[in-house]
Amino acid sequence: MAEYLLDAFACPPIQRAALACILCGASCSLLSVFVVLMKMPLMGVSMSHAAFAGAVLGMLLDVNPALSGFIMCLLAAGVLGPLSDRTDMAPENVLGIMFSFLMGVAFLGMGILTRTKAGALNLMWGSLLSLSRSDIAALALVTFLLALFVLLFFKEIRLVLFHRRLATASGVPARAIYYALLFLTGAVVSSNLATVGGLLIFALLVQPGATALQLTYNLKHFFIISAASGVGSCISGLIISYFFDLPSGAAVVLMATIIFAAAYIFSPKRRAAKLKKRSMYNEDDAR
Amino acid sequence: MDSYIIELEGVTVRKGGGLLLDKISLSVPRGECVGIIGPNGAGKTTLLNVIAGFERFTGRLSLFGRRESWKRSREARLRIGYVPQLFQIDPAFPILSSEAVITGSIGRLGLFRSPGRQERERAMQLMEMMRMAHLWDRPLGRLSGGERQKVSLARAIMQKPDILLMDEPTANLDIAVQKEVMDLISEIHRQQGLTVLLVTHDFNMLPGSMLRAVFLNRGRTIFDGDLDAAMSGEMLSRLFQYPLETFDRNGKRFVSYG
Repeated sequence: MAEYLLDAFACPPIQRAALACILCGASCSLLSVFVVLMKMPLMGVSMSHAAFAGAVLGMLLDVNPALSGFIMCLLAAGVLGPLSDRTDMAPENVLGIMFSFLMGVAFLGMGILTRTKAGALNLMWGSLLSLSRSDIAALALVTFLLALFVLLFFKEIRLVLFHRRLATASGVPARAIYYALLFLTGAVVSSNLATVGGLLIFALLVQPGATALQLTYNLKHFFIISAASGVGSCISGLIISYFFDLPSGAAVVLMATIIFAAAYIFSPKRRAAKLKKRSMYNEDDAR
Repeated sequence: MDSYIIELEGVTVRKGGGLLLDKISLSVPRGECVGIIGPNGAGKTTLLNVIAGFERFTGRLSLFGRRESWKRSREARLRIGYVPQLFQIDPAFPILSSEAVITGSIGRLGLFRSPGRQERERAMQLMEMMRMAHLWDRPLGRLSGGERQKVSLARAIMQKPDILLMDEPTANLDIAVQKEVMDLISEIHRQQGLTVLLVTHDFNMLPGSMLRAVFLNRGRTIFDGDLDAAMSGEMLSRLFQYPLETFDRNGKRFVSYG
């Protein structure tokens, strides 16, 4: 089996797919920390649909789909940011409206696309085995930028995630951090359209962060666990899809779900909370 | 001019077609502890938001002797500590109580500098002052409401502010914890000589160092003066449109809800 695997990894498209898996897992799962802790999973959905709609429009206009997807993400971020800052509109409603609008734009674009729709469908599901060197280079650059952002602004990020208004009140540029985050979300999502696609990426934007939430109270460990869980589910999903001839995107998402379920079942945080509750009940009974 | 650390003149806030503050004027000298009191919708939180730099307004605002627009300069922000109402936090959120206190130093440290030993020692001193040093390593989301509010107070003091703005810091806390938090506010005010603006509904739980009250109703100031003069049944009944009486016991004035 190991020999079979080594033979497979000697093949350049598989090597590229493995590298893309690592980069995709790392970038999406770092972003997932923000999506989960800011309780904005709809932001991930909206951005992935913005990238998808932009890519379909790019195909209609004969523009590079990754570039048009990225531009559409930036436009979506430019609308989402100020609208979710408004106190008279709930951010969830803003994101819900954006999500459905962008899905409508994407399907409209697919409807009027005269040539084959296979390319557009690939953007939905992704295609790890048909990645070019430039796709991987773009993904590596985005992953590097995101990791650098987290390393350089870790303490500001901690406060913005904890309480955005308190961050502003403390003299932290909370708005700039938030907008940089929206920009990076657009970059991560659009550069991953070719790997896991606009639909399945949502799972990688939520599950690694949700997994880390079960396991640690330390934000540094949170980022590391999330990244490990994202990379782990991508690599294991790729290997399983190779051995059992399954769609790679689906295998990745199923692995991410299994890892989350295991973290939830064996969560030390949940166990500690249960024990504390039980000891409080026992104390009450003793009185 | 610097004798008043906060000066508002004709400050008006309009939002969604409503008038939240109507030509409010207020001058607060350095080191004073002022209670902002009024019924729901009186404009108390809006007034704090104007000073904190969260609300657009028309009129004139000066802080530390300098005129300010609605957006607060970074220098002014660093000198203003803000304690919000008790807010919900996910019990699983990855932040310890000590880390939450240390976040108060982030603005002063600036970009690319991490909190070090000095910040940790100061955070420990503040947690000792709040009588919660034993909760240093406890996740914030696992603390009780009162403990979380004390962390919030310590975080604001960690910022080394000159002005402390507090928006109903004891709302949703039980009576014993309310008293403990108010006593801590008095202690901090006396020890550190801060200028304190405290929004509250509860006259029976005012900090001992508070000597001045500002009554707001429907966005207007209806009283600004000595707390003893403010704490009369007639004044309070007029403010809350509800029959209230006051009585004195052990040298303190209390309000009876009739």
